[in-house]
Amino acid sequence: MHEMSLAVALMEEINAIASQNQVERIQEVELHIGVLKQVVPVVMQEAFNAASIGTPAEGALLKQVAIDAQASCRSCKNIFTPEPDNFLCPVCGQGLIDILKGEEFILQSLTCES
Amino acid sequence: MNMKINVVKHVLAANDLVATENREVFRKAGILAVNIISSPGSGKTTLLEHTIPALGKVDPSIVVVGDLQTTRDAERVSDKAIQVTQINTGMSCHLYANQIAESLPGLNLEKAGYLFIENVGNLVCPGEFDLGENVKVILLSIPEGDDKVAKYPTVFRVADIILLTKIDLLNSSRYNLQRVYDDINKLNPTAKVIEFSSLTGQGMEAWLEWLQTQKQQSVGAQAKFVKE
Repeated sequence: MHEMSLAVALMEEINAIASQNQVERIQEVELHIGVLKQVVPVVMQEAFNAASIGTPAEGALLKQVAIDAQASCRSCKNIFTPEPDNFLCPVCGQGLIDILKGEEFILQSLTCES
Repeated sequence: MNMKINVVKHVLAANDLVATENREVFRKAGILAVNIISSPGSGKTTLLEHTIPALGKVDPSIVVVGDLQTTRDAERVSDKAIQVTQINTGMSCHLYANQIAESLPGLNLEKAGYLFIENVGNLVCPGEFDLGENVKVILLSIPEGDDKVAKYPTVFRVADIILLTKIDLLNSSRYNLQRVYDDINKLNPTAKVIEFSSLTGQGMEAWLEWLQTQKQQSVGAQAKFVKE
């Protein structure tokens, strides 16, 4: 459900960049989305379609690149991939961890006609 | 001719910046900001109806309520808190840091000890948006079922405390409490968990004690506000 909020925030960024660079039409928008962000690609696409109407990004291809989760254990320093329902370190079983990757929602690049 | 613009920008950076500013306002005012998140009907407003009077006149509370429509929740706590603001989010399923920032100038933060932010009833999206709160409270009521922690892991992973509300209904339902504890321990073993009932008062003392401890630790302790 939060895909619409993300799409609106994304469009603010895109519109600002488009106007700075005097871009009239955007062909491709590349997003890097961490798997922990709970973004559903189909829903994100729909939200993007709706939010981009009337902007330079209307009709642009939305490329969604998934970023895998990665965590590091504070106890044994092990680097691991947490499971969706299990964030304990698989080596020592401790739960004090730092998330290194997987929480991104990054506008990576825009491909434009100029 | 085609041109590629490399941007590499966190899209929610604007929200996070406002959240950081909110947190600074709370620190200066010496107030503990509590973001309350749960599904609709888990008992957020009822929790506030009981918590605010119990915290007493020494530490009065201000409430900001987020809902899609109506001022019903605000009305329920209006005679208990010193100030209540309702934010109608329309179609948005969560509060933004900006909505909190916009409501702050109208609030007497200096006169209160606690700012309770009752988020829109939703177990997914509110966990993704930092409002500038000091602590996140997640409510999970017994009627929702014992499978919800694993189904909605993000909010439980970011929780500072989890209240298992309507615990008085435990014996009248097929509910595996151990399953809930096991799931929480795999996601967020450092979160405090309290079995809670606004009806019987079970867990109220532990909840109030936790809030007071958080307030003591947060107010003036700037290091706590550094987001890792």
